Amino acid sequence: MKAIVKYRAVYLMMLPIIAYFLIFAYYPLVRGFVISFQQFRLIGDRPFVGLDNYAQVLKDSAFWDTFANTLIIGGSILAIGFIMPIALALLLNEVFASWFKKIVQMVVYLPHLFSWVVVGGMWIMMLSPDTGIVNQLLLALGAEKPIGFMSQEAYARPVMVFTAVWKEVGFTCILYLAAIVSINPSLYEAARIDGANRWHLVRYVTLPQLVSTMKVVLMLHVMSVLKMFDQIFVMRNGAIAGKVDVIMMYTYQKGILEFQIGMATAAGFLVILATLIITFVIRILIRYDEE
Amino acid sequence: MNRNRPYTSWQSRCFDIANIALMLLLMSSMIIPFLNTFALAFSSNLASMTPGIVLWPKEFSVEGFTTVWNRMQLYLPFMNNVIVTVVGTAAHVLLSSMAGYVLVQQGIPGKKLMISFIMITMMVPGEAIMIPLYVVNRDLGLLNTLSSLIIAGLVSGFSVLLMRNFFQSIPGEMAESARMDGAGDFRIFATMYLPLASAGLATVTLFEFVSRWNQFTPALLYISDQTKYTLQIALKSLIVDTDSTSSNFIITTNVRMAGIVIALIPLIAIYPYVQKYFVKGIMLGANKE
Amino acid sequence: MRKKRKAIYAILAATLLGSMIAGCAGGKSEGTQGTEGTADNGGGEKTEARTLKIMAGVIGGKTPEENGLFEKEIERLTGITVKLEKPASDYDKKLLAAVSSGEKFDLLQISKEKMNTFIEQGILTPLTDKVKGSETLSDPNVIPSEEWAQVETKDGEIYGVFTKYQGGTMPIVRNDWLKKLGLPEPKTLDDYYTVLKAFVEQDPDGNGKKDTYGLSTAGMYELQGFFSAAGLKQRYVEKDGKLDVPYSTDAAIPIYEWLAKLYKEGILDPNFATNDTGKMRDLFLTDRVGMITYWDAWVGMLNNTRKEQDPNTEFEAKGLPGAVGPDGNHMLRRGDPDVWVIPVNAENPETAFEFIEWWHSKDGIILGSLGIKDHDYTEQNGKYELTQTGKEHAMDHGVPFWYNKNVEPPFGKLPGVQEAQDLLAKYASLELTPPRWADAEKIINEYSFKAIMGQMPAADAVKKCGKS
Repeated sequence: MKAIVKYRAVYLMMLPIIAYFLIFAYYPLVRGFVISFQQFRLIGDRPFVGLDNYAQVLKDSAFWDTFANTLIIGGSILAIGFIMPIALALLLNEVFASWFKKIVQMVVYLPHLFSWVVVGGMWIMMLSPDTGIVNQLLLALGAEKPIGFMSQEAYARPVMVFTAVWKEVGFTCILYLAAIVSINPSLYEAARIDGANRWHLVRYVTLPQLVSTMKVVLMLHVMSVLKMFDQIFVMRNGAIAGKVDVIMMYTYQKGILEFQIGMATAAGFLVILATLIITFVIRILIRYDEE
Repeated sequence: MNRNRPYTSWQSRCFDIANIALMLLLMSSMIIPFLNTFALAFSSNLASMTPGIVLWPKEFSVEGFTTVWNRMQLYLPFMNNVIVTVVGTAAHVLLSSMAGYVLVQQGIPGKKLMISFIMITMMVPGEAIMIPLYVVNRDLGLLNTLSSLIIAGLVSGFSVLLMRNFFQSIPGEMAESARMDGAGDFRIFATMYLPLASAGLATVTLFEFVSRWNQFTPALLYISDQTKYTLQIALKSLIVDTDSTSSNFIITTNVRMAGIVIALIPLIAIYPYVQKYFVKGIMLGANKE
Repeated sequence: MRKKRKAIYAILAATLLGSMIAGCAGGKSEGTQGTEGTADNGGGEKTEARTLKIMAGVIGGKTPEENGLFEKEIERLTGITVKLEKPASDYDKKLLAAVSSGEKFDLLQISKEKMNTFIEQGILTPLTDKVKGSETLSDPNVIPSEEWAQVETKDGEIYGVFTKYQGGTMPIVRNDWLKKLGLPEPKTLDDYYTVLKAFVEQDPDGNGKKDTYGLSTAGMYELQGFFSAAGLKQRYVEKDGKLDVPYSTDAAIPIYEWLAKLYKEGILDPNFATNDTGKMRDLFLTDRVGMITYWDAWVGMLNNTRKEQDPNTEFEAKGLPGAVGPDGNHMLRRGDPDVWVIPVNAENPETAFEFIEWWHSKDGIILGSLGIKDHDYTEQNGKYELTQTGKEHAMDHGVPFWYNKNVEPPFGKLPGVQEAQDLLAKYASLELTPPRWADAEKIINEYSFKAIMGQMPAADAVKKCGKS
């Protein structure tokens, strides 16, 4: 008790932060949880309907479609976005000229800075079959006809995966590079004395040293798979919506566009639940908390 | 570094050449889009609408910029964005470092509870509660105000933990002895802790600046009044859907690209600093407790 | 480590549990709030404030700044303080977001289609008695009596009042290109093909490059002018008391095949599926495409836009009646009307209705068309003159055309509009749009795109589409 009095100034400083989280994190969570059991109407009473909203969401084929899209697109981004930066970092580390290395780092990092509106907008323009530079290049290389990347279902998902990886690969790569730099040089010396060649050094010295960074990166990425929204919202269009609309799009559509606040919130809570479960499972699988 | 002599075998040589070629290819895949964007932005209206591989302005012109800035009044959302970014970032940095300061004080009861309290907020994806958040903002009468955008992400668990990690290197006795001398906590925080964690402040500031500048979902949800639009929302309607049936402007490609360039400039300006702090920050923040 | 994590999960679980208990109490109090809200509305009518909160898609200023002037102008003319929200794009989304948030608007400008949805949701105030009792609105010179049938519900209620005279859509062609290439105006679907192909291959813009398309559309937004060749009506028709979607019948196959041919040969803008109307317009205005399908009013706007840029331009947009059908008839569509509606939670419904009446008066019409006095136009002794801004805005601030016969357009119509309107008057008919159209449209779009882009034979697409 004495301590509390002694540190009252400290608590006072914490007050705004606590208040903020209470109002804009905990309360919406609680409120949302309540709404997900209500028939939420704009005017009039809001009776409790038990698990109706959840049942409706789970029975809605559109929900499962978006769920599948999320898993396919998110899963691909997760996998490719995990391997690519590691490969890139290892390759980049093999470059001797340090000025060249610096330039590459500077350039590949760039897209990470920009919003999806900017990046998505740029790619939409570049992939346009009309004047987009990608199709212009393909035509210059001898393609017969421009490809409607953004309007044909076959390309829709690959385009989303590609642009997402394109945007983040540099940033993640640099995380690994930072880890590589901090590896103890004597490890390499020792391996060389044992007769290791270039590949051996990468395989048996560098790679194992990156495991803990990999875990961090994987956790960060896993937690963001299900909440994918900006990218799809910006890059989707009517022609490919069926292939790329993800779960958060579903929530947005139900909640904001179709008045179905109850259903939208229920879907949101299913996402939270799934995120918690997936995070938990991955944590155990990769032994995140050990070492 | 890990190596002091280059490899001389021919396999290694081949690999090096292939590797550099690969890097060049990769770099061009990153640079060409931006080059293309800048080139188109500085092309004339009609030239920007014609097909071709554009890496240098066709018929150099700033028509795109004058159209988007003056006639379409992009300066309004731009200024809104500046306000939200500057105020939001300042508030975020202050509050996060305050919380960080509190969480490194030794011997305050309930510290563990407070840490858990903050960490839980990091486990719930904000997007998943966007509808309830929307309802809360509505109930508080915050819809269509810039305040709602400043408040969205006012503090984040990530920044708090980051600041805490930076403060942890400061010996706790310092605060204790200052307290003995009768200094108030806020003063200790402002005059002793903050200056010692300038790298941390820079990191959080840059992180927040970038994410504020790019803030999209809250603006999408809370703002419908055109005078309150922020840059990303204005850009979305400029670039992706121009379905507004009452606009009489011809929106040519250079106009769209000029909009993108305007949004890029502040971020490119801070890029050198970002490079310096980002990696350090994310590794510290992602540190396992 | 481990303990800490467990503790966090435990707290999270506890919060969720706690919320269930807290929820019961919370739910009830919200309910009462809701009823109080409606009670307020009932009692508040007598002492209504003369302020209005309006949301509109096409009515208002062209820029946020001008929108402010627009609000002030309304206040100057009517004494009503107005807050007008006019989102720059994505109007339907913004509208739904605002309405579903429970934000209180006094007036909304919506399409008839949205109105039907809103009626189903029970969020609109019926205006039948008010309209019938209104001197202005019941005057057939202001709004012709037969027009009301468009917005009446099955049980004869009126929920929305027209915001303007709604035109129709049609193929719009670069007439100067036709002349330049010495082509006659197309009549049959084959004629259209010849013309569109010539637009691609004969360099109509004379820049020496093959960089033009014949036709561009904004998705399946409007293709009536081509489906007419098979005598098919867009959206629904009623046949033997059953609703039918002609675009998904076998008769539509040749048209899909025709469009697929255009796509394959590079005559149809390859972006057609992802275009919005803005992008389509911009292609037309920048000499990239020779034909689009769009509103009659836009024939004038397109001509005006180019003329404002270059007074000597040869650019000439012209409306066409579309391809002739098997019975020798043309078939165009008249668009669903846009209407003013008053939501049930409006705070000042009386003032809102007063505004609607005023909107159909001379002052209202001049504001909706020419724009703001001393900004878009100047007036001296009844003589109007457009300012430079006014000219750029093409006399459209939401009301390019109106019903009121007592108000003469001060400057006549923009070039090409009269001809386009005449065609519509002759050939256009309204279409049937039940509330569920949006869902059906999605399915039709999906299969149409596949058929046109050659991913699926047209016959298969139609079959699958019909099934869905």
